[in-house]
Amino acid sequence: MKKIIKLSFVILVIICLLLPLFVACNKKDDEDGGTDRLVIYNWEDYIDSDLLDEFAEYYEEVTGNSLEITYTTFDTNETMMTKVLKGDANVDLICPSDYAIEKLLKADCLLNQKDIYNELKPQLDELGIDFEGMSSLGKGSGNIEDEVIDVITDMFSAVKSKDGKPYTEYMTPYMWGTLGILYNVNIVSEEELDEYGWGVLWNVQENEELENKILMKDSVRDTYAAAVLYMKEYDLLPEGYGYEDYSIGDLINCTDDAMLSAAEKVLTEQREHISGYEVDFGKDDMLNEIVYADFAWSGDALWAIEESYDEETDEYLLGYYVPEIGSNIWYDGWVIPTSVNNKLAAMMFIEYMCQPMSAARNSMEIGYTSAADKELMRNDVEVCEFLEENEYDVDEYFEDEGRYPEINEKLGVMRDFGTRGEALVQMWQRAKSGNGVSPVLWWCLLGITGGVGLAFGIYFLVQSLRYRPRKIKPISPEKNNE
Amino acid sequence: MAKIKFKKLRLTKKVFSIPYILFLLLFVVIPLVLILVNAFLDSDNNLTLENFKVFFTSRANLIVLGNSLLVGIITTAFCLLIGYPVAYICSKMSSGKIIVLLYILPMFVNFLIRTLATKAIFIAMGVELGMGTVLFGMVYNYLPFMILPLHTTLSSIDKSYSEAAQDLGANKATVFLKTTLPLSTSGIISGITMVFIPTISTYAISQLLSNGKIFLFGDSIQLSFEQGLYGVGSIMSLVMLAFVLISNLIMNAFNSNSNAVRRSLW
Repeated sequence: MKKIIKLSFVILVIICLLLPLFVACNKKDDEDGGTDRLVIYNWEDYIDSDLLDEFAEYYEEVTGNSLEITYTTFDTNETMMTKVLKGDANVDLICPSDYAIEKLLKADCLLNQKDIYNELKPQLDELGIDFEGMSSLGKGSGNIEDEVIDVITDMFSAVKSKDGKPYTEYMTPYMWGTLGILYNVNIVSEEELDEYGWGVLWNVQENEELENKILMKDSVRDTYAAAVLYMKEYDLLPEGYGYEDYSIGDLINCTDDAMLSAAEKVLTEQREHISGYEVDFGKDDMLNEIVYADFAWSGDALWAIEESYDEETDEYLLGYYVPEIGSNIWYDGWVIPTSVNNKLAAMMFIEYMCQPMSAARNSMEIGYTSAADKELMRNDVEVCEFLEENEYDVDEYFEDEGRYPEINEKLGVMRDFGTRGEALVQMWQRAKSGNGVSPVLWWCLLGITGGVGLAFGIYFLVQSLRYRPRKIKPISPEKNNE
Repeated sequence: MAKIKFKKLRLTKKVFSIPYILFLLLFVVIPLVLILVNAFLDSDNNLTLENFKVFFTSRANLIVLGNSLLVGIITTAFCLLIGYPVAYICSKMSSGKIIVLLYILPMFVNFLIRTLATKAIFIAMGVELGMGTVLFGMVYNYLPFMILPLHTTLSSIDKSYSEAAQDLGANKATVFLKTTLPLSTSGIISGITMVFIPTISTYAISQLLSNGKIFLFGDSIQLSFEQGLYGVGSIMSLVMLAFVLISNLIMNAFNSNSNAVRRSLW
């Protein structure tokens, strides 16, 4: 009897603990038929959030079902990949970077968008819509910039899914850009940048004001690219491996031991000249003039430059520069993972994002360059009106070299490093940990032990002086007798 | 009749501990086992000892570990040196409790916000971020953890001990060294434990207050896990755990050696 009471109590407690879970699970099941769901997994601050509601309205208009969008975010590709690779991400759409898409594709986590399209075709005909803007359907590049598609096709031509389908059928580009130097125009001159290129981040020109006022990215892949490009520019590449003949793209994807140890050396040297590493506060520190040069992604840089506009003097405080020697070109793209529940909504969302107006609004909101076709956007009346509303000159906007750099062989895409990634991370850990224990620590330790030792020493000295044995005069026996 | 009632009560008491035991199993024991298993696996889930080799042969890793231990020791020493006099004075004053409350007041603010504010102050003052600012941030953040147990112990010491010592002719310094200090050992030890253990594993403070230039063991573990090096990261966590256990053992040994009244917060 006692046992039964005990057992039932335990079960009761467990049920109480698990009750919220059951409730949550049940809710999913008894949804009414008219509501569809779409779960989007995107970078933080990477979309004009009004577009989400507008897409839901559009979806209802087309399909007759209302749409409930769940929008979740990640802050690094690694966080996102850990979740997706472990199968914990129950999402319909993800927006990873170039190499992350490669990794997810190799791990068989993505669905082929062309196949989905063919599967949905009858339904699409019924609804009277078609996907013209997407580049992944094998019908040309759609609304996406041809040059971007060319770079991707070029770089990832060797990457195929397990059943031999090309990389480009798995993703539709969303945003793209370069890596470069965001600088303060009052401290760093353009001549300096032209002459020293990536060396500015190592302060090779010995600009006194710049010393210890440089920020690097706390992200191993980007910082490695900067180190390799710097070595290329200053002839520091390890000799005897033929690296001199490598293209920029090959160089930044080279993770041989010799290259890694050379990069470690220059990154360790760099520690002496920089203020530190960041991933998020660089823009603000540049605007507040706490630092004067920052290794930055083009979108962040463009956003910061807009913010740095001074109305009184009509000048921009910040500038963005991509060194002549070459740089990294990167892009993020929409992919549909195997965990997708609502293929139609996912595909429609990608298509919606490819529309010139959505592209312009996203770009305006976040500062990054949309992968949508430049000419298409420029010829779109609505887009031009929108840009003018936001006080942009249309021609200036599309000819800005920071926003739309010329794509040539000097810009290389970084691929997934595969198993060499571990060696790279270990190199990065070594570079970050520096050469030895900080002397400040030794001095502190010495000071504390010295201080405590001194205090105790003084105490015992005083004690032994005060209570030192005194000479006692012998007491005369006569007195004692009295 | 009364006997049966009593028995039933005891029964329910036991049952009430079951949720917590389940919680411990789920969130403490299982993760620890996972870390232990991960330490012996490579990226393809094969059994290997390579991770140990990678960690223990890397000079950089050992430097980082050494740096962290030193930072931990120095922070603890500073906290003790600053915290003890404060706790001592407060325990002598009638309004001591309120003053101690003032010391704990910063803890009402989230530590990340506090640290960011500290950073902003340093930048405004033109102080260069580096090891000095990291140490300051550590001491600032962990000082309350030292003062609280010290204050509790010191204010619970019976005054008659020091009065008796004074009666027997000891001067103020001797009274302090021979009665108050030994009687407060348990407070010192719980203070040291509460400061040292979190400082060797801290990572956000060092990252924020040095712009990521000072790289401590916690940062190293975080980087390893973030970049998917679960094997090496697990070994680092185990090493950290070992240090925590060792320091705990040493503290306990000290505590049982002292003949003081054992009244610690924990």
